Amino acid sequence: MKISLNHLKNYVEINVPVEEMCEKMVMAGFEVESIEKQGDNLVNCVVGQIKKITPHENSDHLQICQIDVGKEELVQIVTGAQNIKEGDFVPTALDNSYLPNGAHIVAGKLRGVDSFGMLCSGEELGLTEADYEGASVHGILILKGELETGTDMREILGLDDYIIDFKITANRPDCNCFLGVAKEISVVLGTKFKAPETNYKTVGGNVKDYIDVEVKNYELCPRYIGTVVKNLRIKPSPDWMQKAISASGMRPINNIVDITNFVMLETGQPMHAFNYNELSGKKIVVRNANAGEKITTLDGKDYELTTDMLVIADGEKPSCLAGIMGGKESEIEDDTKDLFLESAKFKRDNIRHTARSLGIRTEASGRFERGVDIMNTEYATNRALSLIYELDAGDIIDGKIDCNNGLPKERILTVTAQSVTDLLGVDIPTEKMVEILNSLELKTTEKDGVLKVNVPSIRDDVEGRADIAEEVMRIYGYDHIVGTPMRGDVRRGTKLDERNKADKLKTLLCGMGMYEIMTYSFISSGAIDTLLLDKNDARRNAIKIINPLGDEYSTLRTQLTTSMLTVLSTNINRKIENGRFYEISKRFIPHSLPVTEQPDELATMSIGIYGKQEDFFTLKGIIEQIMKLFGSHTQYVRSSEPYLHPGRQASCLANNKPVAVFGEVHPAVAASYDIENRVYVAEIDLSELYAVNKRKVTYKPLPKFPAVERDFAMLCDIDLPVGDIEKAITSGAGRLLEKAELFDIYVGSQIPEGKKSVAYSVWLRSNEATLTDEQIDAATQKIISNLEKIGATLRK
Amino acid sequence: MKEKLLSLKEAAKNAIIAAKDEHEIDELRVKYLGKKGELTALLKQMGSLSPEERPVMGQLVNEAKQHIEELITSKATEMKNKATELKLKAETLDITLPAKTQSAGKIHPLNTVLNDMLDIFQSMGFDVLDGPEVETDYYCFECLNVPADHPARDMQDTFYLSKDILLRTQTSAAQARVMQNNKPPIRIVCPGRVFRADEVDATHSPVFHQIEGLVVDKGITMCDLKGVLEQFAREIYGKDTAVKFRPSFFPFTEPSVEVDVTCSECGGKGCRVCKGTGWIEILGAGMVHPNVLRSCGIDPEVYQGFAFGIGLDRITTTRYKISDIRLLFENDKRFLEQF
Repeated sequence: MKISLNHLKNYVEINVPVEEMCEKMVMAGFEVESIEKQGDNLVNCVVGQIKKITPHENSDHLQICQIDVGKEELVQIVTGAQNIKEGDFVPTALDNSYLPNGAHIVAGKLRGVDSFGMLCSGEELGLTEADYEGASVHGILILKGELETGTDMREILGLDDYIIDFKITANRPDCNCFLGVAKEISVVLGTKFKAPETNYKTVGGNVKDYIDVEVKNYELCPRYIGTVVKNLRIKPSPDWMQKAISASGMRPINNIVDITNFVMLETGQPMHAFNYNELSGKKIVVRNANAGEKITTLDGKDYELTTDMLVIADGEKPSCLAGIMGGKESEIEDDTKDLFLESAKFKRDNIRHTARSLGIRTEASGRFERGVDIMNTEYATNRALSLIYELDAGDIIDGKIDCNNGLPKERILTVTAQSVTDLLGVDIPTEKMVEILNSLELKTTEKDGVLKVNVPSIRDDVEGRADIAEEVMRIYGYDHIVGTPMRGDVRRGTKLDERNKADKLKTLLCGMGMYEIMTYSFISSGAIDTLLLDKNDARRNAIKIINPLGDEYSTLRTQLTTSMLTVLSTNINRKIENGRFYEISKRFIPHSLPVTEQPDELATMSIGIYGKQEDFFTLKGIIEQIMKLFGSHTQYVRSSEPYLHPGRQASCLANNKPVAVFGEVHPAVAASYDIENRVYVAEIDLSELYAVNKRKVTYKPLPKFPAVERDFAMLCDIDLPVGDIEKAITSGAGRLLEKAELFDIYVGSQIPEGKKSVAYSVWLRSNEATLTDEQIDAATQKIISNLEKIGATLRK
Repeated sequence: MKEKLLSLKEAAKNAIIAAKDEHEIDELRVKYLGKKGELTALLKQMGSLSPEERPVMGQLVNEAKQHIEELITSKATEMKNKATELKLKAETLDITLPAKTQSAGKIHPLNTVLNDMLDIFQSMGFDVLDGPEVETDYYCFECLNVPADHPARDMQDTFYLSKDILLRTQTSAAQARVMQNNKPPIRIVCPGRVFRADEVDATHSPVFHQIEGLVVDKGITMCDLKGVLEQFAREIYGKDTAVKFRPSFFPFTEPSVEVDVTCSECGGKGCRVCKGTGWIEILGAGMVHPNVLRSCGIDPEVYQGFAFGIGLDRITTTRYKISDIRLLFENDKRFLEQF
């Protein structure tokens, strides 16, 4: 909330510099968003006196002025204005000056004549008629009286005020007003606070003869006070009021509207002024809107209402959207004769709901949403009437209509002083607590260490000892809190197993030159289509965000590959030659759509690699290292993901369960990411990967007996998977197998068409004894016969 | 015979010194010491000597043999060393040529910083837990003392998936789950991803990361909160870092504070990073609100505790002076390489 410092001084004595006051307010819980010194945007603009005016040779509207700006030499300025004469005192923006409208004035030439600045209009100085008489005149602002040339214009305009923007936290709606802030300032500075008097005289009569008020829904409107003012004398409000309103970001309109706005800013209670003469049946009914009822609001917009919305109706129709905005029809205008004035409390969540569903937000609705004090409605009415009286804006009819369903009784909180210090860990003398609470208008007495706190209705945020502790501490000072080291069990904290495993995995991946990436959890609604998935593919069943930041971020991802492809594309298109990336994140798999319960969040890893040294097998190598880390027995089978190259993809099984799918990205898919290179991706189900981790390390004695190496070179059909050959060798060698390694694969000259040559080195070893020739021959024969069974014949 | 021996010894010595390569040395070895060598031939003539002369002469011959042997060995070693030296010299490399390596990858900077933080909290006995990213309205708000239509909900723009299911706006959502499932003493941190409907710009991201901390036990005070945060701040920002509490408001804590630490850039003197204040706001904290304890089945008359929420992204961008938060999610390799 923005407040003029000068205006605050009407309520509270401020005896320190503005920065110091703000610092103290910050330490009491009122963050200061900005301190704006008026005139900070008006730099190097001084009083000048026009000494001589000559016409411009090349222009019939420009004039050349010689200006005395308090220096020895006159300054030459060219102006287009016609309302000036020699001897006038005028605001003169010198070379290198700044004006409130953001303009930066520098010396230049106007139609060939040097001009070392600019003469300013009221508008250019950001002034209205309220700030300086004559400010609205078209042309240069002619200053009043005899002035000393060279005086800074800020001094002339009285721009000595500061506008302070306090950030009021949601628990302190009572401070969304001048009085609330002033009260807090008086507490932090220890100075006097004074709320304005509310004296006024009526012209007699009885308000009940003028209007009938009926509240039909006390739950949504616990209190409604109405008064009537006759014979309005509408005119502009006084300068001081206009300044206070403008400082807080509202626009002055006329005395009646300004009074309602000013009282809202001052007391926090929104007021509403109705044109009494437009109220049909001289009746006010506070009721829920009828289905389909319509209203045109002050800003000329039409709304259709629903039955959960509260309206202030006259005898026939809604005249105001309760607590949000008045109706056009009952608006106060320059010729309005009589006024019905409302001061009410509306239920905050109802206002919030209505404002949101209609998409309206006003100063009033904001205050009702955060909560106004039911006891403040009457004070605000009195304050408004006293201003009407003081400004002679109309004739006040005697009496108020006060509709309520019983007002809250005073609330007494009892807490022990000990329980307060126990929470804070700071010993605050009980007398000090009592003193602080009383200064905050939380009337407190103490007996035997028990505090009895009388909580006014305005502080409904104060509910128990924690709130009392906060109120005491923020004034006593948080610098009294002295850190104590952690107490309790001495042990190192644990991490969840998944997190430990992910850490281990990341160490491995780092070692393989892979970079961890992080991408958003949501993708565009169309992203999934880039993967060319079947229309029944479960991954198309993604959860949509109801209120996304746009389609680009609208869908919770069911896979990580599209995000990875985007990252690969970014890097490739920035001409980065190669890259190895991985991401560990979650996939969101709904149980049903639309969602009725939390979806499964599946820990998943995606991998993406590209570059001239990468191919299917380097990716397979990465997968293999990952599987080895978790010690599972793995197997590779062909897979059929539509987004991968049909002949260059595989699924990795661990204990017969699919853990990973990987391969080269289908060129059509790559193309939709502007990728022309071959790129390789994998997606790994981490919960499956972690689940297969049964690896328990037990030392195996180092071999005592020598190994025997035998090479097998064979011819087979070109289509025979090498994996089958390896299986044949492995099972043939049986227990004697130490390892079998492919060392050559060849297709070409000297090999019959449709065939390939494959060569393996096989190491045999026994842990019991040196192998005998018989054992070796038996194993070799078994291997050969196994190979023959699958159509691989030894090359002679 | 003695003269013969002496002249042979002299000749051998000169020949060895004059030898030019290992081959010549080998030849000299054969010539003098071989089975058919000159010394052996001399020994064979010993038979012609008188029995008195024989041992004297034998000793002389042996001495000569040993002497020649030593000369040969030392010459051979010298030559070998010289050869090695030459070979090594010829093999000299340009050590400024590029290394041959598979360079290591990197953990994402957010996780590097996160790991540092988790390590600090683990060392103080905090267990690290996780919570779901898709939460119910109940756990994200209701249970944390933020009923429907409460103005505090304006502090956060929430992404909704249905009326009651949403993307969590704060890791505090995990608090309630922990408190419902565990009895005090509780001492946990819960890092994770959170979501708010902030338009993307240099300092705002709809996806960011927090670390929630929660301690509940008998007799936990606000001073304990400060102690933990001081230790944390000192380990993250250096041992001279001070911590300052500023009163604030969060619905789920009371009292609530914003926590500032000494600006790590200027050490508190005031600079551009801290906007001249000497302090940087790093987290929000407070004593767990009695209503929150109660709604999680913990008696606020018996137990009290504190909670804090740290913004990981902000601390990361400050640490590395990353000017635009979007870089964290763009994943340009040249960016990732730097951490």
